[in-house]
Amino acid sequence: MARRLVALSKSFWGEKIILLSPLLRNMHKIVTVDMEKDILSANRDLAEQNKALLEEHGIRSFDFLGAIGSGKTLIIEKLVERLKAKGMRCAAIAGDVSGDDDYRRFVSHKIPAVNVSTGKECHLDAHLIDHALEELPLHELDYLFIENVGNLVCPVDFPLGSHTRVVVISVTEGDDMVRKHPAIFAFSDVIVINKIDLAEAMQVDPGILDRDAMSANPGAKIVMMDARHEKGVDELILALGL
Amino acid sequence: MHEFSVMSQIVSSVIEEARSRNASKVERVTLELGEFMMLGHAQLKFAFEVLSKDSLLDGAMLDLRTVKGEIECGCGFKGEASPREDSLHQLTSAFECPKCGELAKVTGGRDCIIRDISMVVPDV
Ligand SMILES: Nc1nc2c(ncn2[C@@H]2O[C@H](COP(=O)(O)OP(=O)(O)O)[C@@H](O)[C@H]2O)c(=O)[nH]1
Ligand SMILES: [Mg+2]
Ligand SMILES: [Zn+2]
Ligand SMILES: [Zn+2]
Ligand SMILES: [Zn+2]
Repeated sequence: MARRLVALSKSFWGEKIILLSPLLRNMHKIVTVDMEKDILSANRDLAEQNKALLEEHGIRSFDFLGAIGSGKTLIIEKLVERLKAKGMRCAAIAGDVSGDDDYRRFVSHKIPAVNVSTGKECHLDAHLIDHALEELPLHELDYLFIENVGNLVCPVDFPLGSHTRVVVISVTEGDDMVRKHPAIFAFSDVIVINKIDLAEAMQVDPGILDRDAMSANPGAKIVMMDARHEKGVDELILALGL
Repeated sequence: MHEFSVMSQIVSSVIEEARSRNASKVERVTLELGEFMMLGHAQLKFAFEVLSKDSLLDGAMLDLRTVKGEIECGCGFKGEASPREDSLHQLTSAFECPKCGELAKVTGGRDCIIRDISMVVPDV
């Protein structure tokens, strides 16, 4: 009890001193300072620099988005196989929260690849791509494929500097996928509806995904694929203008 | 999902500005968020509270303002994007031109800007 009283009086005096100090010593005022600082402009500027660097080297780049397991890596692998057969030189950047499985899959096609681990981050950003580009032989490339982290929300806010954005969804994610994430579809150029070989087993109607994708982004090209059995690869090549 | 990393950039920019003005405390931060940004307001506020602890921002108020999206259409329309109430895609219908119904280009509403900061500075 006595101890508590001491504490109380201390805090009483403490308060009094704080109250008096501005009067006794220097005065303070509150000012409002205009900042107009754009938090995401640094990423946007870097993305523009990346794009300019790629264009300087005559490289066309594609950024693949989509949920984990939708088929991004397999689709890029199929594209790389086709393009290599046509004598085109490809490279890939594998973005993942951790691990290097996708990177190994790209390297197995004997193309230059870079593994970018985002650590705790949920998306790639232009700065990470900037550093990945430093590791690629840009003078010897025609096409660059970037696989983004499996996430349908964040990458919308972080352009990387690629020319074409592709979003990959699969029928195994359910037929309400597009309705749940309209923004990513609205800001993509090509929409792939993958794993249509599993549509019947999943009791999902790819037509619903197609219809929703079309209304989310009437300007996008929509491609149905079964990457496992190489169906739709030609259509995707056409849609990407490869 | 990246509210935390975006907010930590905001907090460090504010602290840098406050330090350069010898501020003893930041009272309020006004943040303008574009309608088309994928950042949750509740998560941003939470991140702000956590990140401002024991800094010049401790106890400061975060004034979050939504900035309307803007679109530009081939038909000449330029202005605020207004989502249709009946739309399945609340967000994407905002890109339709209200004048001609065609798909219009998004020209605003994808920014995250620190508008201003109120702080306590020495009166000299
Ligand atoms: N049945 C079927 N499986 C597929 C298809 N596309 C990808 N897969 C499989 O789905 C799994 C995930 O694919 P992956 O390319 O790693 O997906 P990512 O996480 O988006 O890169 C792998 O086992 C693929 O073989 C497809 O069209 N049909
Ligand atoms: Mg993958
Ligand atoms: Zn760096
Ligand atoms: Zn993120
Ligand atoms: Zn119009």
